[in-house]
Amino acid sequence: MQLLNWIFGTPANSSGSLAKDRMRTMLVHDRLELPAGRLEILQEELLAVVQRYFELDKETTQFDLQQYERRAALIANFRLLRSKC
Amino acid sequence: MSGRVIVITSGKGGVGKTTASANIGVALANTGASVALVDMDIGLRNLDILMGLENRVVYNLVDVVEERCKLRQALVKDKRMPTLSLLPAAQTRDKTAVNAEQMKKLCIELKNTFEFVIIDCPAGIESGFQNAIAGAEEAIVITTPEMSAVRDADRIIGLLEARKDEIEQYRLVINRIRPAMVKSSDMMSVDDVLEILSIKLLGVVPEDEEIIISTNKGEPVSGTDNTRSGLAFRNIARRLRGEDVPLMDLDAPNSTWISRLVKFFAPVARV
Ligand SMILES: Nc1ncnc2c1ncn2[C@@H]1O[C@H](COP(=O)(O)OP(=O)(O)OP(=O)(O)O)[C@@H](O)[C@H]1O
Ligand SMILES: [Mg+2]
Repeated sequence: MQLLNWIFGTPANSSGSLAKDRMRTMLVHDRLELPAGRLEILQEELLAVVQRYFELDKETTQFDLQQYERRAALIANFRLLRSKC
Repeated sequence: MSGRVIVITSGKGGVGKTTASANIGVALANTGASVALVDMDIGLRNLDILMGLENRVVYNLVDVVEERCKLRQALVKDKRMPTLSLLPAAQTRDKTAVNAEQMKKLCIELKNTFEFVIIDCPAGIESGFQNAIAGAEEAIVITTPEMSAVRDADRIIGLLEARKDEIEQYRLVINRIRPAMVKSSDMMSVDDVLEILSIKLLGVVPEDEEIIISTNKGEPVSGTDNTRSGLAFRNIARRLRGEDVPLMDLDAPNSTWISRLVKFFAPVARV
């Protein structure tokens, strides 16, 4: 497989695709003028709010900033186990 | 007449704004259009060199704005292309020598006479950039496929977006693409850059030693046949005029039978 990648190109960890991934994250932060670490604080606060209402599976909780055209979208995914009320 | 005022800008320095201005200007003039090339990089005059007109500069843009001469007197006519004129920048002044209002007025005067007014913008996002875009209705954003250049292009696009009322359209030119490096995935591809920036593509220019040679001669590559970068700039000029020109095949010249064979099998092998 390594040999095939070497011959035919586009391995997923090439420097070109690494640059693309880094660019994506960087530009989402640039466009929102989002300081480093701010997103992590938001995540903790969101998690605390949801946990007031639900027991959840913390392991599978996901936060993601994605790009749609030139706008960013915050995608949060909580796996709920049961309601707390 | 009301011509089109198009500013060529980038954010990051040294990515090819002046090269693109000269080549697009020459290519447009060769299609028969009348073109004014305006050097707004005040204090760092370059466009006259690329055009081979440095010995014919008498007055400059700042002289016009400060009314030391008429616009007509400052325009340097290119003898090789009678429909092309250059309005040189001042070399001994700085970016504060012209303000946005003066630039708007100048652009209105220029587009009364010329079908295309191409403005070569200084690097950066400060006053020099703001003044250079002041009279423009269209922008061409230049980047190379490198991270720092793309990041700065994104910043410029954000600033252009915020001025939608004045800048009606802006498109991207990706300069200095190296097909071999894209192929080996060691350079972001055209599609990668477009996806990241979400902007319309105007053209792609390959890395080409001929550009350095042509600068030495003062004859932009788009004016001569047989160079790949020249063809790329001529295609850009045709697209600016509304023609639907497909992107050129970047790996055509070294397309040996082996590379064709690899291309043929590559999609199968990747599955
Ligand atoms: N496609 C290309 N292939 C090879 N060399 C290139 C290419 N495009 C530009 N260059 C070279 O890159 C250098 C910078 O180009 P240029 O002066 O046009 O950039 P610029 O964006 O105007 O720079 P500045 O921000 O300083 O005004 C020049 O030496 C030029 O010859
Ligand atoms: Mg320049």
